[in-house]
Amino acid sequence: MTPYIQNPVLWVLLVLTLLAAALVVRQRRAARGLRQEIAGLKNHYGELETHYSQSVREAQQEAEAETRTALKSAMRTLQGLAAEQQRIISGLQRKYGDAVMLQDLLEIDHMNAQFGRRAQSIAVLCEGWLGRHRDVASVYDVVRSAQGRIRHFQRVQILSKVDFGLTSRAVEPVALALAELLDNATSYSSPDTVVEINVRTVPKGVCIVVDDAGVGMNEEEKARAEKLLTSERASGVSGLGNPPQFGFAVIGVLCERFGFTVSVDSTSPYGGVRAVVLLPDELLTDMPTPQEPQEPVAVVQESRERTPVVDTVAVAHETGPDPSLPQPTTDDGLPRRRRKRPMALVSNSGPSAPPAPRRRSEDTAAIMAAFKQGTDKGRATHPDGERSSGTGDASSEGHEVS
Amino acid sequence: MSDSDKQEHEAAELVRPYVITGGRHLPGEGQFSLITLVTAAADHQQRPARLSPEEQEVLRMCVGGYLSVAEIAGHMQLPVGVVKILLAALSEGGYLISRPPEQRAPVANLQILEEVLNGLRAKFG
Repeated sequence: MTPYIQNPVLWVLLVLTLLAAALVVRQRRAARGLRQEIAGLKNHYGELETHYSQSVREAQQEAEAETRTALKSAMRTLQGLAAEQQRIISGLQRKYGDAVMLQDLLEIDHMNAQFGRRAQSIAVLCEGWLGRHRDVASVYDVVRSAQGRIRHFQRVQILSKVDFGLTSRAVEPVALALAELLDNATSYSSPDTVVEINVRTVPKGVCIVVDDAGVGMNEEEKARAEKLLTSERASGVSGLGNPPQFGFAVIGVLCERFGFTVSVDSTSPYGGVRAVVLLPDELLTDMPTPQEPQEPVAVVQESRERTPVVDTVAVAHETGPDPSLPQPTTDDGLPRRRRKRPMALVSNSGPSAPPAPRRRSEDTAAIMAAFKQGTDKGRATHPDGERSSGTGDASSEGHEVS
Repeated sequence: MSDSDKQEHEAAELVRPYVITGGRHLPGEGQFSLITLVTAAADHQQRPARLSPEEQEVLRMCVGGYLSVAEIAGHMQLPVGVVKILLAALSEGGYLISRPPEQRAPVANLQILEEVLNGLRAKFG
């Protein structure tokens, strides 16, 4: 043993071992420290990342909201202008109703309606204004209104109708959604084919079925359409693709907001797309204008109650038959000759006073003006007084009635 | 007319006139004048379901008597031209019969009349 103790090598080794141990311990400690630091850094980095993506998302949302607001107000202006223009065109159509110019006015009207629809669609995507309040309208009229908002409306045929009306709240959204469907149907089918519309009553409400004879949609397109129509929808106007496809996105928003459903996943009998709009009972109501006048008293009361919602044309049509139909026998429509009714009206208008103010004075003025224009024209071409004035008398009686 | 332009805050009609006419064009100048008389054809008393409500309304109005085009337009509250398009379509479909207004009697030549008058005066006056 002793000789080993004397050996300096042993001591050197011992010292070396001790040194190595100390070194290892120190390194370990340093490594631990570093590891902790790394972990801290990692945490910090993670936090930064979340913050970053959060702020990016916020900025994106903010930008989208701003775009939406800007577009919304811009579209509101455009919609207002389109609506105003439509009224002016309506006035012109009445004014120049007998001129050849009417043809052009009708075309301008058509263009204007398409223009208005575009603005309306974008507004809907930006959660904006849908349009002016509409009165209760029959499903058939809503379908025709939708028809009038697309370019190739002549290719649309309405094959069946139901005796239901749409509540005033639903008129505009349903018309717009249907117009988008019809636009798709006419755009993706050849110009010489017809787009058919069938309206059916089903247990859950009323179905509007749109069949086109186009090329149909492949699975991918169907999936995309389904996505847009149901849940995952592009917010605002971003994510509509390039060129942007508004149709299904607009319909999706409208469906969600107004509670009807649209499905496009079936194939039409002609190989194209069959789109089905299901209008639930909540959106349905009675027909706005009773086509067949029932018992006169009931009709009068009914029309009086409904004065605020029935559209003016309908009202004007109602006022004629109501007071002057004491016998319910005239089943198939109105009295045979409308112009003989004034006598009855005069005696009846006393008790049933309210019908009188239902026509606005502007309307009366417009009608009388149109009538006068007509008789003037008649006299102008046939100056031999008697015949034309005879016609005039008869007509004026009729006009006072309705 | 200017009165009707004042209806500022109302939406225009839901169904536009060009949809009502189905995009058809105005009938020829001579086919319908304001005082052309129309009536429903006798063998179409039952209203066919395929016609639009406006066409049915026109038919219902015309059952049982002659009405002038101007009168129908007034009742329908539609532009006269639109009504003419509807009437033309209904006539084509055989639902309506139209009777053109009687032709004006040819105006006698004033000069001849004067000459006759002068002659008579010379002879008897």
